[in-house]
Amino acid sequence: MSELTQELKAKIITQLNLEDLTVDDLDDHTPLFGDGLGLDSIDALELIVMLDKSYGIKLSDPKEGRKVFETVQTMADFIEANRK
Amino acid sequence: MDASPSYIQSYCTIRDRSIVLNGTIFLKMDIATPLADFLKSAYRQLDIDYPKFHKMDSLCKAIFIATELMARHSGPYASDTALIFSNRSSSYLSDNKHATGIFDTENQTASPATFVYTLPNIALGEISIRHQLHSENVFFIFDRYLPEFLVPYTEAALDDKQIEHAIGGWTEISEHTCDLLLYHIGKLGSIPHTVAKLKRIYNEHE
Amino acid sequence: MKAAIFIVGDCVISPLGMGSTLNFEKLLAGETAVAPLDDTTLAEHRIHAARIADHQWVGKIQNASKYTRLETLFILAIQNLIDTYGIPVDRRTLVILSTTKGNVSLLHNPAARFPESRVYLSEMAHEIQHYFGFENQPITISNACISGALALSVARQLLQSSDAYEHVLVVGGDEISKFIVSGFEAFQALSDGRCRPFDRDRNGLNLGEAVAAAYVTKNPTDDAVCIRAAGSFNDANHISGPSRTGEGLYRSIREAMRLAGEPVLDFISAHGTATVYNDEMEAIALHRCGLSAIPLHSLKAYYGHTLGASGLLETILGIHSLRAGELIPSLGFQYPGTSKPLNVITQPIARPMSRFLKTASGFGGCNIALIFEKV
Repeated sequence: MSELTQELKAKIITQLNLEDLTVDDLDDHTPLFGDGLGLDSIDALELIVMLDKSYGIKLSDPKEGRKVFETVQTMADFIEANRK
Repeated sequence: MDASPSYIQSYCTIRDRSIVLNGTIFLKMDIATPLADFLKSAYRQLDIDYPKFHKMDSLCKAIFIATELMARHSGPYASDTALIFSNRSSSYLSDNKHATGIFDTENQTASPATFVYTLPNIALGEISIRHQLHSENVFFIFDRYLPEFLVPYTEAALDDKQIEHAIGGWTEISEHTCDLLLYHIGKLGSIPHTVAKLKRIYNEHE
Repeated sequence: MKAAIFIVGDCVISPLGMGSTLNFEKLLAGETAVAPLDDTTLAEHRIHAARIADHQWVGKIQNASKYTRLETLFILAIQNLIDTYGIPVDRRTLVILSTTKGNVSLLHNPAARFPESRVYLSEMAHEIQHYFGFENQPITISNACISGALALSVARQLLQSSDAYEHVLVVGGDEISKFIVSGFEAFQALSDGRCRPFDRDRNGLNLGEAVAAAYVTKNPTDDAVCIRAAGSFNDANHISGPSRTGEGLYRSIREAMRLAGEPVLDFISAHGTATVYNDEMEAIALHRCGLSAIPLHSLKAYYGHTLGASGLLETILGIHSLRAGELIPSLGFQYPGTSKPLNVITQPIARPMSRFLKTASGFGGCNIALIFEKV
């Protein structure tokens, strides 16, 4: 599990160009949106593409994304439960 | 239009690997420095905390840097400052990146974060957010810098909208090169906003 | 006092056909150009979109093989204006082109038959200039989805501030490509059926293609329409998401209304892309302006979103509506679906009219509002 969260953090940082951040800065439970990491709607769309390309999971309902992308941990849980 | 009702408050050129504000060098790097590294160095030297910068394409980054520098000299900008920009390649860098992704035979991808930058006026949106400019934006495409069009157009826009400020110029960015001249126009000052003056500034970088 | 500026002629090439009168009649008859489209060169699966058919343009201009599909459509529209209104091809005439992506379909496309340099909008403008032999270099505007409406405002300002030009041809166009489809898809912005502007169940937009052209001049004709006022403001909020307060659009409409002397509007031609957030934003902006009760339509369910052409296309059809005294219904609307109510036109209504408001909003946070008035 922690391997997946580490992998996700690295992917999030590169994919979303979070230049000033390292994997160690990013806690499993930091909110990705809002007051936490401050990601926005374009980042959310980018995460949807990442889920599809890296893990073969298609998120068709954008509202679902809000829960899935709450933290790195919720993302990891979702991937574990849905990956093929 | 010979008389100049407006004046240049500040101007910034980014060419090759140097950035010049009002005739003074802000940053100069080796010509072999990759453009992305050069723009990142400029951002570091600005010493600001604006993580969104790293998400931008090079067109937005260069425009962001020049606008930031001019604001230090003649800002903060009035919120009704009109934005009148031009270039040749539109958003070619991001267009190229998006098109490469969607025609990739191995791994076709369309990235929302790339696609959003496939319009030249996104850069105007970026600086509007940064400087809280609620104003008219227009992005013209020409084959070269055309002060003969832009100067009278900008003057007419100021007159038409009864406003005093504009930021405008030429912002041509390719994969390795940067040819940018931006200027902040206002009603008081000593450098006349004329075609002749801008041609001189454009040609004399450094 | 600045000179009044008029639209005295127009041309539309859309999937519904050639000519603005024909297009207007088809809208009143309820015809739509949006249809299911299965074309693997655009998307791997079915989309709903409005495409111009080959027979509408193939082989219709001189040296046809030298010009791209979009250039050909631009040329056809300009030729139509020149022929219909006897516009001279000399230094008094200026062409303003508006497009978001021009020939971008050629970029990295293995099926493209033209050099990639044609992707540059200045090259496209050059080709069009030389086809006709225009003396002035065309002015090209690429300002997202407000390009077409913004080009009208630029034309007005150029004619008012200078005597250099007498005739300005404003021409807007965009075509559907894999480039555009894949991008809007990545934004999850495409509807799974025909789009439903302002409706409760709207779930995205349809892409469309059209070339629209307007002949703008200082000299009015009997059925001319005056470009009365314009306002254009950025949201300064987000580069792709519509402002939740409709700030930029609100300011744009307020400015246009103020400059026009707070006139009574007969209808509003909204942007109405049918994405959840865009339509909500427009409803909020109009509510803030106190314009919620004015009859309103979006033409996106007839034509799809024609990007750089849309503001111009929808203005031209609004002008026909004004002249004919017939309100065009907003296709695809059934149940109210915005937090602030709107008076969406659901039936064709005949009544004498004087003026309307056209709005448009686009990526980058840009917005524009224009008021058009019968002479």
